[in-house]
Amino acid sequence: MKIKKGFVLRTVCGENVIVGEGLDAINFGRMLCLNETAAFLWKKAMEYGDFTADDLAGALCQEYDVDQAQALNDVKETLDNWTKLGVME
Amino acid sequence: MKGTQYYIVAEHTFCVKAADSILALMQNYEPFRTAPIEDLLFGLTVTNGSPVDYIEEWRQDEEGQDTICGHTEQGEPVFEFRFGGKTAGWLVCVPGYRSATLHLSGFQTKAALDNSLMIQFAMASACLETVLFHAAVVSLDGRGYMFLGKSGTGKSTHARLWLQNIHGTELMNDDNPAVRIKSDGTAVVYGTPWSGKTPCYRNICALIGGIVLLSQAPYNKIVRLNGIGAYAAVVPSISGKRWDSRIADGLHETENMLASSIPVWHLDCLPDANAALICKETVTQDRK
Repeated sequence: MKIKKGFVLRTVCGENVIVGEGLDAINFGRMLCLNETAAFLWKKAMEYGDFTADDLAGALCQEYDVDQAQALNDVKETLDNWTKLGVME
Repeated sequence: MKGTQYYIVAEHTFCVKAADSILALMQNYEPFRTAPIEDLLFGLTVTNGSPVDYIEEWRQDEEGQDTICGHTEQGEPVFEFRFGGKTAGWLVCVPGYRSATLHLSGFQTKAALDNSLMIQFAMASACLETVLFHAAVVSLDGRGYMFLGKSGTGKSTHARLWLQNIHGTELMNDDNPAVRIKSDGTAVVYGTPWSGKTPCYRNICALIGGIVLLSQAPYNKIVRLNGIGAYAAVVPSISGKRWDSRIADGLHETENMLASSIPVWHLDCLPDANAALICKETVTQDRK
């Protein structure tokens, strides 16, 4: 999986927001607010480029005090959401 | 005969090198004329030209006006301006937009020149805490109040309602004011040589008192927008080429500063006097 081209994580008034700025995302027409965990996952996903839910769950476990099963659950929920919103492929 | 004229808009300087007959078209720039200066934000050279080869990236279609953005094989940004499908000119910029050449087709020369200078101004100043807005702006008691909204929402109408119903209101610009964040963190709005269909070319500025996003409604109601809501209201009203990440970063800096430091409102409104009065009551009591 990967994040679609053209989406950028911005800090807006202290909050994490995904905006469509690239040519491929210019008609996205909305902004997504991410909580701290989701923003962490986004940064990891961008860093990996091509990634799996397991990759992100592993990163989450390293950063936060959470067990693998719970982490994978949280990651899948977030990725489902991103797929529905069309920022991931 | 060719000549060079110098201008200062929102405290940014630029020059235009063109035939005298072209310079004579620039009446709306007269209030912004200045003596020759060396330290320029950008320079534009205007020539008669033939079609420029470029690779298209994106096009914007607005009421029969097409702006097509692209780049040459060498990577120079190109903008083609079409009116009713017919090309008025090709603007070829150096990366960074500090200098550019406008190749005129001979059709709609003035519009091509205005579009070129607006684009060059917006791009070259994007990383200098400056943005070019699509807005109408009035001043009252030394503060500027900006009205935003999609084309056809009634920005100019709302500004006119302030002029007609609120004593002391003046029109600063009707379509394309510039905004700058100064080094002390204050936000200032400036008149420019670009004002849409209204000939309002005033070399004036004011501290921004408030920004109001307008929507048409069968009633008048105003609410304050904070944080992300304020940012989301401001961003669509600012011109830029956001797929150039350097420009996007610069615009974001300014937009974020505006959203966090300037009161931003959403006004649902009718095109009536009451809309202006309710708006004025609310936005002028919130000065900070």
